[in-house]
Amino acid sequence: MLRLPATVTTLLLIALVAYWLAGIVGAHDKLAAIAPPPTSRGDYRITLAFAPERFHQLLLQDKGRLVEVRGNVVFMKDVDPAALRSIARNYWVESVARWSGH
Amino acid sequence: MSTSAVLRVALPRARPRRRFGVAARGFAGVLILLAAWQISVPLVGLSPYFYPAPTDVLAAFVALVRKGILPVYLADSVMRYLTGLVCGAGLGIGFGVLIGMSRKASLALSPLFKFLFAIVEVAWIPIFVVWFGYGIETIVLALIYVVFFPVLYNTLLGVRTAPQILVNAVRSLGASRLQVLRLVILPGALPGIITGLRLGAGFAFRGLVFAEMVAAKTGIGYLIFEGAQAQQTSRTIVGMIVMGLLWLAIDQFYLRPIERATIQRWGLTIDAAERT
Repeated sequence: MLRLPATVTTLLLIALVAYWLAGIVGAHDKLAAIAPPPTSRGDYRITLAFAPERFHQLLLQDKGRLVEVRGNVVFMKDVDPAALRSIARNYWVESVARWSGH
Repeated sequence: MSTSAVLRVALPRARPRRRFGVAARGFAGVLILLAAWQISVPLVGLSPYFYPAPTDVLAAFVALVRKGILPVYLADSVMRYLTGLVCGAGLGIGFGVLIGMSRKASLALSPLFKFLFAIVEVAWIPIFVVWFGYGIETIVLALIYVVFFPVLYNTLLGVRTAPQILVNAVRSLGASRLQVLRLVILPGALPGIITGLRLGAGFAFRGLVFAEMVAAKTGIGYLIFEGAQAQQTSRTIVGMIVMGLLWLAIDQFYLRPIERATIQRWGLTIDAAERT
């Protein structure tokens, strides 16, 4: 009788887990460019596939100090490794690279 | 018309072939509307800000998904909605049973609830913003307020219309007050509770849009508001369509099956219902 709600919930959960796993795999690939892996706070250049909107800026501001936006690139300071991983997990983040901070 | 007959009319059990036919007709209706909308755009000749075409709306939808905005807004809205619904329904059922079973509680609480019922949630939101600020607390409180009353009054109705003959029969067998509640009152009130839940779920959806417009920086309601503010009418329409589709999905995949299961479980369907 409640097969439909159970099936839909299961499918939703599978989709959520797949999304989460895809984020982790994607973050791993994006962070592979940064060697050695970060162990302390650092400055980074976050490249998106589009010019960031207010939504992206607010979200990134929670993870560190947003210094500048130039085209599709966001420059950030004082980003800790966990925050960097969570930024890289977003599928709309194209790449992450170290930034000298100037 | 008896209760079962009413329920039979309200909840027809469609056969798969007929269900497919109904879905196909519904889909055709949507296609016709979309075609008429698209054709009317060049005829009307207004800018996309005033009257965007379906293709503009589709492009806005794709952009919102590509930029990761829509998934986050949708997740935030669903989370707030479910939290408000579960808390509001829990409180509504609890107070409904309490008022229905206790005369003292009824005398003490009924006037207060009648008074509060008259104050719509829209009036509370500014106060909640002052108390709790912009964010999830304000939105969830507004949703709890919206869900609470329909669930409360339908639970109360269910409790008060539970067959007295069954209550007496269980009592005569030595059942405690708690056993009467568990064995007779709650099962009897369940169709009422489910009806209240469905009503509350619908009202909560409207409340969610309004609360997010006023007190949030994310969510589908905020998308609707933000789109209009930023003169991105296509985004506003995307928000409206997503809201509508989300409600259809919740109703079709959760509320209707649960309501049907409750009604069948507690013997409120008759054979004719199967043939409808």
